[in-house]
Amino acid sequence: MDEVDKILIHSLRQTGTDVGKDVQSVKHFTSELIVEAVVRCLRVIDPALGSGLCPSLPPGMSARFRVGMSLAQACQDLGYKGEIGYQTFLYSNEPEIRSLLMFLVEKLPRESAEASDQPAGKSALLQKSIAAQIKAQLALPWLSPSCRLPLLCKTQNPGPSHSFHSQTLSLPHCLKVPGKKQLKGKPQNTQDPHNLLSLDFLPPVTAQPSQHASVPASLLEQHAGELSAAQEWENEWNSQGLLSRLTPEEYRSRKRARLQKRIEEQLRTAAQTRPDTLGAHGSGSDLTELLQSFGGSPLIGDILAKGTRFTHTEKFTFTEEPEKAAKQMAAAANSLPSSHQSEEDLQARQQEELASLQQQLQQLSLSLEEVGGDMRQLTVSIHQVSDELKQKELSNTEEEDSVRVKKQTIYLLPDGENNLAKLQALVEGSAERVVNLAAQWEKHRAPLIDEHRRLKELCSNQEIESSRKLSEIKELHEKISQSAEEAKKKEGLYKQLITEFENLPKDISRSAYTARILEIVGNIRKQKEEITKILSDTKELQKEINSLTGKLDRTFAVTDELVFKDAKKDESVRKSYKYLAALHENCTQLIQTIEDTGTIMREIRDLEEQIDTENGKKTVSNLEKILEDYKAIRQENSALAAKIREA
Amino acid sequence: MAAPETQLMLSIGLIEKDVNADTLWVWCYPSVSAELREVLLSKCCLTQDSQGLNTFVFGQFCRTWYYISTVEVQEPTALKKVTHFSLVVTAKDFNPEKYAAFSRVLCRMYIKHGSPVKMVEGYIAVLTKGICQSDENGSFLIKDYDVRKAYLAGSVKDVVSQFGMETIILYTALMLKKRIVVHHPRIEALLEFTRALPALTWHRKDWSILHPYVHLTDSELENLRTCTGYVAGFVDPQVSNRPDLFDVYVNLPDTEITVSQSAKEAMAMGKLHKDIGLVIVQSAEDADRTDGQVIKDISIKTREILANLASLAEDCEDSKITLETLKQRHFPPATENFLFHLAAAEQLLKI
Repeated sequence: MDEVDKILIHSLRQTGTDVGKDVQSVKHFTSELIVEAVVRCLRVIDPALGSGLCPSLPPGMSARFRVGMSLAQACQDLGYKGEIGYQTFLYSNEPEIRSLLMFLVEKLPRESAEASDQPAGKSALLQKSIAAQIKAQLALPWLSPSCRLPLLCKTQNPGPSHSFHSQTLSLPHCLKVPGKKQLKGKPQNTQDPHNLLSLDFLPPVTAQPSQHASVPASLLEQHAGELSAAQEWENEWNSQGLLSRLTPEEYRSRKRARLQKRIEEQLRTAAQTRPDTLGAHGSGSDLTELLQSFGGSPLIGDILAKGTRFTHTEKFTFTEEPEKAAKQMAAAANSLPSSHQSEEDLQARQQEELASLQQQLQQLSLSLEEVGGDMRQLTVSIHQVSDELKQKELSNTEEEDSVRVKKQTIYLLPDGENNLAKLQALVEGSAERVVNLAAQWEKHRAPLIDEHRRLKELCSNQEIESSRKLSEIKELHEKISQSAEEAKKKEGLYKQLITEFENLPKDISRSAYTARILEIVGNIRKQKEEITKILSDTKELQKEINSLTGKLDRTFAVTDELVFKDAKKDESVRKSYKYLAALHENCTQLIQTIEDTGTIMREIRDLEEQIDTENGKKTVSNLEKILEDYKAIRQENSALAAKIREA
Repeated sequence: MAAPETQLMLSIGLIEKDVNADTLWVWCYPSVSAELREVLLSKCCLTQDSQGLNTFVFGQFCRTWYYISTVEVQEPTALKKVTHFSLVVTAKDFNPEKYAAFSRVLCRMYIKHGSPVKMVEGYIAVLTKGICQSDENGSFLIKDYDVRKAYLAGSVKDVVSQFGMETIILYTALMLKKRIVVHHPRIEALLEFTRALPALTWHRKDWSILHPYVHLTDSELENLRTCTGYVAGFVDPQVSNRPDLFDVYVNLPDTEITVSQSAKEAMAMGKLHKDIGLVIVQSAEDADRTDGQVIKDISIKTREILANLASLAEDCEDSKITLETLKQRHFPPATENFLFHLAAAEQLLKI
């Protein structure tokens, strides 16, 4: 009971009730204290309910009575199931008060509801503290610059904000971690021994950017880049890399080669589409040179050289044109008149030039046509000639074959009949032999093909197996990463909770309570065990009693009969029969007395318990109080009646 | 008669697909070169997993005709673990019906006995005697399958009914020994269409220009390039992006004929072509005339033109035509152009 009271008093103190230091248990609560405690609790639980009530007891009896009634009503509204009325507050007894206060304290709203759903993790904590700081700063009113205190200056000036300017940082090359950059910042001039210290080593990362303000931005960008590269590699490796069943280095080198090939192909196709267009020769040749430097150059050269005669001659004629035009332009430029010659001369000269150019044009077009006609003729004749050639070749081979056969036939012709018969026999013989050989070959071939098929099946089964194992491996990877994350989270949570726990106030020792509770639970369990044992013992005893009683009855009945039979004849037997009957009756009475004793003892115990409870109820003192109060009320009533009569 | 005929068959081979969905070249007699084997594996529908079964396809590679019949193995059979197989017959001549019938006989033998030895027996019987006993009643006789029948099996009437007047483009291209490429996604339609085309130039009776089933692989395209003029069928629609392969492109499902830029000048058509075109269309539209008769009509017209050309040639020295002689006759330019190229094709041109 001590513990319960201590907890109750503590909670009541937290609601605002002024419980004196010497009050250690509910037994010592006065009526005023009780009323104050209940009202404050009601106010905390339900402000609407408790606002109409006053924590202190008024002096007048009827007022007190009213306050008691309203408190009782309020408690019943809250849901208190026990018997409650004004007497609980004015004439209290310990058990009722204890149960009421326990009910109210349980109803008090829990403050721990907020604490339970705090997110774990360092980042959450950081964010929460940032949010708290910003809230605090925002809560401060804005002041004009002249009125600001130095502390406010820092937070309310626009000065500290900078734009996000990042610079690339150099990091030393690390073999273990993929993706880190090569060591830059190698010594610029190794010959200069005086600057060794400054140039031989890479400056620290915070000193690398040109402006100090861009350090955080550069660090953030660098880190984000590395993180995303690592994540991408993880994703790619887990999805495609594992499937390709190569080691990471092999996979990477293959990927690099693939990408290089693709780049080459793209450049090559771009270069190939160019050579058709006029005037793009320059860029095309640059590109082809570039591609030649990659290697694999003969392909480009072949494609360019494979054009038909037409395109080649086209190119030649067209390249002639610009050259000629250039020459003519140069000639024209040379014959440009100097500024002091007359205009007419100028015009005449221009006309001449025009005429000569037109003539040249005509000549050129004529020659073009001629050449075109020649080309046509030549292609067509080429076609014809190649066609003829092919046909002649084919007929040649055919004729050779037929000549060979005819030669053989001629050779065999003289002895025609015989040779024919011989030939037929030969043919049949070879046919048989071939069939024989085919059968023998089949004997070899069939098992080999079967073996091949069997091995193929095995191979495909193994493939299935390995892909299944691969998926298992993937699952395991996922599980591993999940468990690692969970472990990290739990560790973070644990650390956070430990710090919180250390920061908690130590006024109430929770561990003492929990130990006590566990003790009580253990005790209860032991008691339960004992009770069960006792119950089983009782059952056993009862069974024994029943069986013994039964035995007794049966034995007595048998004996009775047996003796009675003989009793009719023999006198001594009759006496023994009487003794037997008397014995039986006495024993029965004895047993009955014992049972009655037991019942009476039980009743005594119950009555003693009732006496104890009644004693605790302070009935006598309450009765006295009630009588006094009754007298006081009567006095008040009479006073009021007198006042009314007077008025 | 028997001797030159039977020497036309070159070899037979077997391709099997087993329960592991694995396709293998399992057997051949007497021998098939590695290159040809590769080509045949690519033509066999068992290696192409998307399409269904093509029971019979044929084609040409390096002047060898191949005929592939594919059969799905059904019970009762002596073959274990085989789900489908293809029988390949290679020969020097073009005669799809003959080889299809022969393949059927051999396939039945194979299914029944499960061993290629029986096939060898049948093959040698045909090779030596020209006759083979088949399991069902009757036997396979080579002499039942005349090559002329194979030539005439293609339907020119169908070609004309699909393309109408545009058939003259095909006719011109064939006469001038140009390169025609036909595309259709289904191989059966492609084979049927292309085999009828060389019949338009019946006077030559040359089916070696026919390559009805070609893929866009290097070896096959090399082979095509060695021929001056050809009719090639492609299942792959990518062939339309290869203008270096054709002078005339026929898109069969869309019924479109396009002439490539480089050949437009040689294929210019005029009044003469209109006349020929009319003859072709009228003859084909006549419901009473059979395919054979249509071909005959076309060949009559062709012979007229050739006779004309021959007479021109006789007037020249060497009996060869030159461009000047043609110009002297003052033909309209399209006709002159056509006759000039035709003379080259018929080897009447002076070099």
